[in-house]
Amino acid sequence: MAAVRYACRDGWRLIVRHWGMSLLTIFTAMSVFFIIGASTLFVLNVRNIVSSLENQMTIQAYLKPKADVKAAEKAIKALPYVKETKLITKDMALERLRSRIGEQAKAVMLLGENPLPESIEIKVRKASDVAETARLLVAVPEIEDIVYAGRVAEKLTKVSGFVEKFSIVMLLVAIAASGVVLFNTIRISVYSREEEIGVMMMVGATSTYVTLPFVIQGFILGLTGAFFASLLLGGTYYAAVTRLKDMLPFIPFIESTKLTGKLAFMLICCGATVSLISSLMAVEKFIRKASKPL
Amino acid sequence: MEIKFSGVTKIFQPDIIALEDIYMQVEKGEFVYLVGETGSGKTTLMRCITREVIPTRGQISVGGNLLRKINRFDLALFRRDIGVVFQSFLLLPNLTAFENVAFVLEIMGLTPREITERASEVLKLVGIWRRRNLYPPQLSGGEQQRLAIARAIVNSPSLLIADEPTGNLDTHTADEIMQLILGINAAGTTVMMATHNQYLVDTYRHRVIEIHRGRIVRDEEQGRYEHHGSC
Repeated sequence: MAAVRYACRDGWRLIVRHWGMSLLTIFTAMSVFFIIGASTLFVLNVRNIVSSLENQMTIQAYLKPKADVKAAEKAIKALPYVKETKLITKDMALERLRSRIGEQAKAVMLLGENPLPESIEIKVRKASDVAETARLLVAVPEIEDIVYAGRVAEKLTKVSGFVEKFSIVMLLVAIAASGVVLFNTIRISVYSREEEIGVMMMVGATSTYVTLPFVIQGFILGLTGAFFASLLLGGTYYAAVTRLKDMLPFIPFIESTKLTGKLAFMLICCGATVSLISSLMAVEKFIRKASKPL
Repeated sequence: MEIKFSGVTKIFQPDIIALEDIYMQVEKGEFVYLVGETGSGKTTLMRCITREVIPTRGQISVGGNLLRKINRFDLALFRRDIGVVFQSFLLLPNLTAFENVAFVLEIMGLTPREITERASEVLKLVGIWRRRNLYPPQLSGGEQQRLAIARAIVNSPSLLIADEPTGNLDTHTADEIMQLILGINAAGTTVMMATHNQYLVDTYRHRVIEIHRGRIVRDEEQGRYEHHGSC
């Protein structure tokens, strides 16, 4: 217990007495986690935009006259990839036509009754599922015709695949680069105390006793850096989204505070963990060196 | 704490023979001067005792511990029972004089009260109590030397290894430090002290081991400081 108390005190002492190095580490951690957070938000927004476009992709299945609507809906819902179905009655179809072409829609009523067929609007999970679902719909006996934007679906599928791969690569690169920068900063901070580590070992300190204050120091610095990065990220992100929404109102930006809160929590946890591991690795290296006899 | 060297040879790469075929036995409570010219191997011999250096050949046993086989944890425990005054002091620059001394007691798990009492007592003993809140770089060479001695004796070690402990001190202060070390020895601590100070060796007569080019060339009870080959 006393050892933990001393370790906490020494960890804090390391931060305060090397305040220049501590500030540099906090600033580096803050920059690093700001970049990771910003990359994550960028990736999440791109995915959100692609996903909202995919959500707008629908297949219109026109039913045969006097077809059993319930049976058709049941058969469609049973198909894989189908996320949602909506029955468009004759009246609804007319209403839609009216909203599209205005009073000219009255022309269809000249025939006496509404000639528009009933249809089912189908939403699938991904744009890449559209073609396959359309192929399966052909086999449903109640369906007479199928209409969908084949080329758009195809292109959206490609974009979606690219965004998925790009976002993973981008995040991995950001995390790897940030990890290396933070690790090196902490290593420099520990390196400046290499001789101290050797002296501590010489007067009988165990590896754990020497390691703990450095690990606590790294933990506190990483945590603080990531905390400030989260604050900065939150502030700049919402300010940017407010402006972008004015300029690009048709793009659905992520505005959920719950999601950004989760991201901030993730960044802080990451900051503390990465710094802790970096300190541990850096100190362990010098401890091994100090305990190795000539 | 007794020390035993059996056929110890240390060769630093590529082919620098620092110690050659050393046989030596120091009994518990003994006081031994290590003399010899600079580069003769005194410091290497002492560093072998603290296991900073491991011999190329031969065995070293300190207090019954075979140093070649000791593991990392046991080495830490072993070092807690040894006080070392390094030639270059090796104080912790970011700790005050008081904290430097207290550190040794903290790692031994003493209570804060015991630490304060013991560290204060030792700092008063070596005469730097008033400078306790200063950092090592703020102390003079002599004060750093005293602080290094205070750190080495604060845990009442069974063995005190001192490499030129009076090297930076004037004759009067060197005498005071010597009295301090003799007092520690009188309390039962084995002392091995490397020195170039002829006055001290000739005044406070004890066993003298002279090393020349890595070999023991003289081992005398109640010896004098004499260079190998002189007279």
